[in-house]
Amino acid sequence: MEGLFDYAPAIALFPLAAFVIALAFGPKLPKKGAIPGIVATGGSLLLSLAMLAAVAGGEEGYYHETLFTWAAGDAAGEIGTDAIEFTFGILIDPLAALMLVIVSLVAFLVHVFSLEYMNAEGETGLPRYYAGLGLFTFSMLAFVYADNLLMAFMFFELVGLCSFLLIGFWFRTRSAPSAAKKAFLVTRFGDYFFLIGVVAIAATFGTVQFAGEDSFVAAAAAAIDDGGQLFGFDAETWVTITGLLVLGGVIGKSAQFPLHTWLPDAMEGPTTVSALIHAATMVAAGVYLVARMFGYYALSPTALAIIAFVGGFTALFAATMGVVKDDIKQVLAYSTISQYGYMMLGLGVGGYVAGVFHLMNHAFFKALLFLGSGAVIVLMHHEQDMWKMGGLKDKAPVTYYTFLAGALALAGIVPFSGFWSKDEILYDALIVGLEQPLIMAAYAMGLIAVFFTGFYTFRMVFLTFHGEPRTETAEDPHSVGWAIKAPLLVLGVLATVAGLANLAPVAKLTGAEISFLEYWLDGEYGGLEALTYHSYHETVPFEEGAIGSETTTMLLGAGLSLGLALAGAFTAHALYNVPSPTRHTEKLGGAYDVLRSNYYQDEYQVWLAEGLTLPVARAADRFDQTVIDGAVDGVSSVSLFGGDRVKRIQSGIVTNYAALLVAGFIALLIVLGFLGGWFL
Amino acid sequence: MDVPIEYFVLLSMALFSIGLFGILTRRNALLFLMSVEIMVNAANVNLIAFAFYHGNLTGQVFALFAMALAAAEVAIGLGIVLVLYRNFRDVDVTVPTTMRW
Repeated sequence: MEGLFDYAPAIALFPLAAFVIALAFGPKLPKKGAIPGIVATGGSLLLSLAMLAAVAGGEEGYYHETLFTWAAGDAAGEIGTDAIEFTFGILIDPLAALMLVIVSLVAFLVHVFSLEYMNAEGETGLPRYYAGLGLFTFSMLAFVYADNLLMAFMFFELVGLCSFLLIGFWFRTRSAPSAAKKAFLVTRFGDYFFLIGVVAIAATFGTVQFAGEDSFVAAAAAAIDDGGQLFGFDAETWVTITGLLVLGGVIGKSAQFPLHTWLPDAMEGPTTVSALIHAATMVAAGVYLVARMFGYYALSPTALAIIAFVGGFTALFAATMGVVKDDIKQVLAYSTISQYGYMMLGLGVGGYVAGVFHLMNHAFFKALLFLGSGAVIVLMHHEQDMWKMGGLKDKAPVTYYTFLAGALALAGIVPFSGFWSKDEILYDALIVGLEQPLIMAAYAMGLIAVFFTGFYTFRMVFLTFHGEPRTETAEDPHSVGWAIKAPLLVLGVLATVAGLANLAPVAKLTGAEISFLEYWLDGEYGGLEALTYHSYHETVPFEEGAIGSETTTMLLGAGLSLGLALAGAFTAHALYNVPSPTRHTEKLGGAYDVLRSNYYQDEYQVWLAEGLTLPVARAADRFDQTVIDGAVDGVSSVSLFGGDRVKRIQSGIVTNYAALLVAGFIALLIVLGFLGGWFL
Repeated sequence: MDVPIEYFVLLSMALFSIGLFGILTRRNALLFLMSVEIMVNAANVNLIAFAFYHGNLTGQVFALFAMALAAAEVAIGLGIVLVLYRNFRDVDVTVPTTMRW
């Protein structure tokens, strides 16, 4: 089994090859590059599964290998002793193996789905599309098994570039290029902090490795134990600062408040791309990064509390905006932001397993929902407004039931996967929140968001599939083929049963050992010593409380969140599950305008750019033009003027030159004489 | 030989000053050339005098070189004077003033 790990690089290289093939030969291929993409991602999926088996069955249970050193220097770190090295390496531990499977599975299904969504719809520019998908998958897979922070950063950036290329796929429209630019710029803003964080970590600890003896995580833990100073700060404060800098990139990529504004606009890309971005690649990259270097964040209670609070706030904030959207993809976009908020909340309170569990479940059900909405869009001849749909339930049963499974998982209704992970996150937040008021506030926001999630999810389901058809296209929808149905079915099954991976509440009640994911991430089946849930849990500095006993707390939390989710779903049922639903949004009054305008987030960010940054930039430009350029120009004009005057001594008369020579010689003689002390 | 070295230096200074005066005051190119020659010979006098004073022959060899150099210089200088005369019908050095800014 161990020998399998030697093939690990191929996981990412397959999609890269597909990218090259699609780019070079795409126009000549029968499906314009779809086949290489499907084969490559299928190969990646098989290899990833093999990695999963190798991690579980191997003796060491992980793979950590440096493949290429591209820069090595002197020991430059504040406390690092070894020479700093920048390398490309592969780290496959239980977390990375799990994520590899998720990413390659979703990418594979998206490729298959594209056969019908893109090829059959007669799109142009398909080689470009498949090349983009291939590069996207490659970047994400390489990011997932990166063994150091710098490599992770590079592929993080590449993921951002690919999202730009794919969101702007329909570049002839007005909105798509603008959305692509926005996604690129907003995430780049966050990545700027990430870059500074990488540099700070490298400069502090002299290493950027994630795992092993010489990782920056271990170095940071040792520095905190020593109680020394780093760059004039407490070791712990410095860890918090650098952790938060890296978190900037996470907030940008995972669309957390306040850098979430790019994500809804990113719906301008093809729906398949949205599925890939939101379920498995770009947005997941942020949360995955937090999980990857969780040992580092666990050292800093402040950073964790900030992660938790931002997550909880984003969960509620985005969920409220999702309530009033009419576009099916927009609803899903806000639900994505909200769900990633939950993951951040889970990780922030130290619920490493809960966060990763939700990341996995979300990948399945959100890919399902996006592909389902893609199917709906095909059914509706590219209509995305839910008010023009209705009654699709009977005409497209496969789409309906799989979409329903995804919706139930998203809303967190027992026993679908989303319930188990969301409940675990909320439980982890609750027990920490009982001791920490700030976390309690984050928990409360997460809990309220459950109601909104249930509401908007089922509003979407009812408006799309239930009631009477509201337009002619809804009465006579386009049919969908196997390439759409098969991925939906696979994901539908996964969204339903993925919760079985970690039935923590059931395990606690019955005492049965069935929380497999926890054991998996705990390294019971193999893994690195320091990267287990157990060691993280010991590092996390939060106290845990309970209402009564642990079981009561758990049941209370689960009951509360399930009750709220059901309340949301039934509210949506009462309002929208009627033959001809009407808009109820005007009853919200002023709140409707605020929600509809996304809390004026875009407006204030545009104001920040135009009202604040632009004048500052103008002032800087003026300073540059006048003071800096003025000084440079001044020097040159003084030289010019001086030269113009001095050249007049060149009279062309040899006698004058001779006289000047003699005068100069005499002057020199006198000066030297004075300096040499002749006349003293 | 018991002429003191000061006399040689004085002679050389006098020759050099005469040459310098000629360069600064004369306008005739030929006189210019002659003045330059006088200055070169002032230097030669110094070279030989100090070589003798130190009992070292290097200075005298140098003086021979300087004479050869002066001969070459005169040849070029006369050539220039000739061209000057052809172009301007005059050997006044203040006439050709076009070679300037």
